[in-house]
Amino acid sequence: MAANTQTKVRKLPPCRAACPAHVNVQGYVALLQRGKFKEAVEIIRRDMPFPAICGRVCFSPCEDACARTNVDQAVAIRALKRLVADIERETGRVKPEPIPKKYSEKIAIIGAGPAGLTAAYELAKLGYPVTVFERMSEAGGMMRYCIPEFRLEKFVVANEIAYIKDLGVEIKTGVEFGKDITIESLQNEGYKAIFIAIGTQLGMKLNVPGEDLEGVINAVDFLRAVNLGKHVEVGEKVAVVGGGNTAIDAARTAKKLGAKEVMILYRRSREEMPALPHEVELAEKDGIKFYFLVAPKQIIGENGKVKAIECLRMRLGEPDESGRRRPIPISFSEHQYEVDMVIPALGQVAEISCLPKELLNKEARAPSLKVDPTTLETNMPGVFAGGDIATGPASIIEAVGAGKRAAVSIHLYLQGMDLRSGREEVEETTWVKNWGYINKKERRYEPPVEKPRLSFDEAREYLEKIKRQAMFEAFRCLGCGPCAECLANLELCEGDKAVVDESLCIGCNVCAVVCPFGAIKKNEKEIAQVNEDLCKGCGICAARCPEKAITMKKSPNERILSLALATIRG
Amino acid sequence: MEEDKYNIVCFMCNWAFCQEEMQIPSGVNVVRVMCLGRLDPAIILETFENGVDGVMLVGCKPHDCHYIDGNLQAERTVKMLKKLLKLTGLETDRVKILWYSPVEEKSFGYYAKKFLKEIKEIGFSPLKSEALKSKLLVNVLAAKNAASDFRLRVLLGREKELTEGVNVYGEKLSAEEFDSLLDEIVTEEFVRHKIHVLTKTQPLSVKALADVLEMKTANVLRHIVNMRRKNMIALDHVEGTTPLYRALEVK
Repeated sequence: MAANTQTKVRKLPPCRAACPAHVNVQGYVALLQRGKFKEAVEIIRRDMPFPAICGRVCFSPCEDACARTNVDQAVAIRALKRLVADIERETGRVKPEPIPKKYSEKIAIIGAGPAGLTAAYELAKLGYPVTVFERMSEAGGMMRYCIPEFRLEKFVVANEIAYIKDLGVEIKTGVEFGKDITIESLQNEGYKAIFIAIGTQLGMKLNVPGEDLEGVINAVDFLRAVNLGKHVEVGEKVAVVGGGNTAIDAARTAKKLGAKEVMILYRRSREEMPALPHEVELAEKDGIKFYFLVAPKQIIGENGKVKAIECLRMRLGEPDESGRRRPIPISFSEHQYEVDMVIPALGQVAEISCLPKELLNKEARAPSLKVDPTTLETNMPGVFAGGDIATGPASIIEAVGAGKRAAVSIHLYLQGMDLRSGREEVEETTWVKNWGYINKKERRYEPPVEKPRLSFDEAREYLEKIKRQAMFEAFRCLGCGPCAECLANLELCEGDKAVVDESLCIGCNVCAVVCPFGAIKKNEKEIAQVNEDLCKGCGICAARCPEKAITMKKSPNERILSLALATIRG
Repeated sequence: MEEDKYNIVCFMCNWAFCQEEMQIPSGVNVVRVMCLGRLDPAIILETFENGVDGVMLVGCKPHDCHYIDGNLQAERTVKMLKKLLKLTGLETDRVKILWYSPVEEKSFGYYAKKFLKEIKEIGFSPLKSEALKSKLLVNVLAAKNAASDFRLRVLLGREKELTEGVNVYGEKLSAEEFDSLLDEIVTEEFVRHKIHVLTKTQPLSVKALADVLEMKTANVLRHIVNMRRKNMIALDHVEGTTPLYRALEVK
C-alpha cells in the first residue's frame, strides 16, 4: 500500500469508526440533546438511507464500541435512531426533491437489497441516472422478504425505499437477472457500470438423512413464504436448527403462527450464538425453548412426514478461525426430540447459476464472487459486486457499507480516475483515557415493545414524554470523539479551534491543567501546542490563559464582547 | 415601556442553547459561547462597565457538560467574580449562574423572566446614572484589570490542580484554604489595580490614595512598593517632601 499515498486518514469517534457505514452517531446524538429530531434524521441520511430499518434490526456495532460500555452501559444508539426515524415518518415526512442528473452515464444495479439500494442512493445523490433491477415483486431484498413483520414492519421498509425513489432512482421489479437481463444485455442497452448485489438467497442444507421429508422447510424459504402472505402450515412441535438471527426469527414466526412448542437446537452454547442477545431474550419471552450443544444427526420420518429429530450432544473444543469454540460431537449421545416440523437455519449461499462463469470464485470455502475488497471490482471491467454475494451472509449495515464503497468505486471508474484514489481510512480517536471521572448514568430510554393505544391528546403527551426520555438518553453520550461538526452546517455550532500565539506563551501550563481533553500540552520548547484531533473548541484554555496567548479562531473575546454589548451600544 | 430599559446579558452554552424553545423577554440579550468555561471574567466585568444591569450565565447541568468540567470552570469564574463585585460596590446578585438543559420542563424563557424580575428588584445598574458612575467606574475598571491580571488567572486556572492534587512538596490545599487564599489575592489585586487606575489620570501621593481607598497609609505604601517592583507604577515627582506616583503603561 506504499504507493497509495492519497489515502486520507479520518479520525472518528469509536461508534462511528465501528459502523461499517460510518454513520455520524455522535452528531445525531448531539442534535437529540437539543431536541432536534428532524435534523438528526438528516444527519443519518447523509451516511445511509435506512434510519428506521437499522433502528430496528441493526446489530449495532456502534453500541459495542461505545465508550460508555467501560463505565456502565452503551448509549441506546439504535433505539434513538429508531425513534427519530419513526417520529419523522409519523409526523409527515417531507418528500425530497429529485436530485438533478449531473452525469449522463447510466448505471445498472442488480438486486434491490440493502447493498444495491444504498449504492443507488449514493450514486443518485452524486447525480447519476440509476436503475435498480429486482427479481421479486417488491424492492427491499431480505429486509422485505426475510425479516418478519413483528421485527421490521413492511411499511417501514416501503417508506425508506420510497425516499430513495423520490431522489430519482428507478426501481424495476419482476426482472430476473440471468433470465430477463444479463451483463451483456445491460451493456448493450448502454449501462456504463453494473453493480451486482444479489445477496445470498438459498438456505444451506443440513446434510443429514431425512432432509427431503415433508415438514422440513428451510428458514429462508419459510420466512419468505410467510412474508409473501402465503398460507404456511406449521406443525405442533417445531425444531429450528441454528443460532443466528434467522433461526430466532423463524422460531418466533412459527410460534406466532400457532405452533404449540418451538425449540431451537444450537450446536454451540449461548455465548457463541450469533443472534442478538436482545432478540434471544424476546424469543425466551415468547416461550421458545433453547437446547444448546446439540446437532442433528438425522431426521426420522413416518409415512414421508417428519416424526422426530435425532441429535448428538456436543462439547466445545479449541476456538476455530471465526474465534468461536468448535463443537465436537460426543459419541453414543444420540437422543431424539419428537417434532413434526424442522426448520434448518444454518446460513445462506448465493444462487450462482445466474452469474457468468468468469466472475465466480473457484476457491473452496470462499464467497461465490471474487471481488477486490477495497474497490469491489470484479475481473470484468465496469462490473462491481458487493454485499452478501461478495462477503458471504452478513448484516444490513455491512451491506450498506459495501453499497457506499461500490458507489465511490463506480463514480471513480466512470470519471476515469484511479479506483484507489481518494479512499479514506478510518481511525478511532477518543480523548477518554481515564474512566475515573466519568459519572455513571443509567439508561433512560428503551423503545416500547408494544405501542400503547392512545387518544389524540394522550398521544401528544406520550410523544412529548418519549422525546424527553430520548433527550435524557442522548445526554449520556460523552461526545468522546473529535469534534463531530454535526451542528456546524446547521448553524448550531461554531466548531471552534484554539490557536496559540507562540510569542506570548510563557509555558505556565495552566491551559494543560484546564483542558478537559488533554488536547493542549507544552512541547519541548515550553510552548503550548494544540492537538487538533483532540481539541473540541470549548475555549476554556483561552479563558484561563494568564498571558492571553490563546485565542479562539472563530469566537475570540472581542467577538463575544461585541455581541454582548450589541443591544446597549445599538 | 420601562421594561425595555433594563439590559441583561445572558451568556449561554452552545449545548444548552435551543432556539425554538426560547421565548426571550425584551431586554435580554442572549450570547452563545461554546462553553461557559470559555468566558473570561474580564468580559463579564466589561459588560458591567458598559452599564448592563445583570449577567446570567446559562450552562449545562453538572453531569451533562459536553466538556466534562467546563461548567465547573464557569462556577469558579463566578465565585471569583462575586468576590470582585463585592469590592466594587455592585450587588453580587447581578451575576447569576443557572444550570439549564433543553430537556427541562420549563423553557429558558421562564428563567430569563425570573432573572429579569430579580434584577428589577435590585434596580438599575448604578453605572447607568451619571452621578454614581464616576465613583463606581474606577472600581469596575480596577476589577476588570485585576481579573485580566496574571496572578488571578493563574490562581483560577490552577484551582483544580491545587485543591484536588498535591503540590511538589506533597501538600494538599483544602477548599477552605483555597477560598481564603483567593479572597486575599482578590482583595490585594483589586486594591493594586485601583491604585493603578487612580494614578493614571494624575499623580497622587500615598496619603491621598489612602483617603480614597479608606485604608491605612502603611498598607497603601506596601502595595506601592510591590507595584513599583512589578513596573506598574513609578515615582512622578516630589512635592515638598511628599512623593507623588504615576501609573505606568502595563502591557
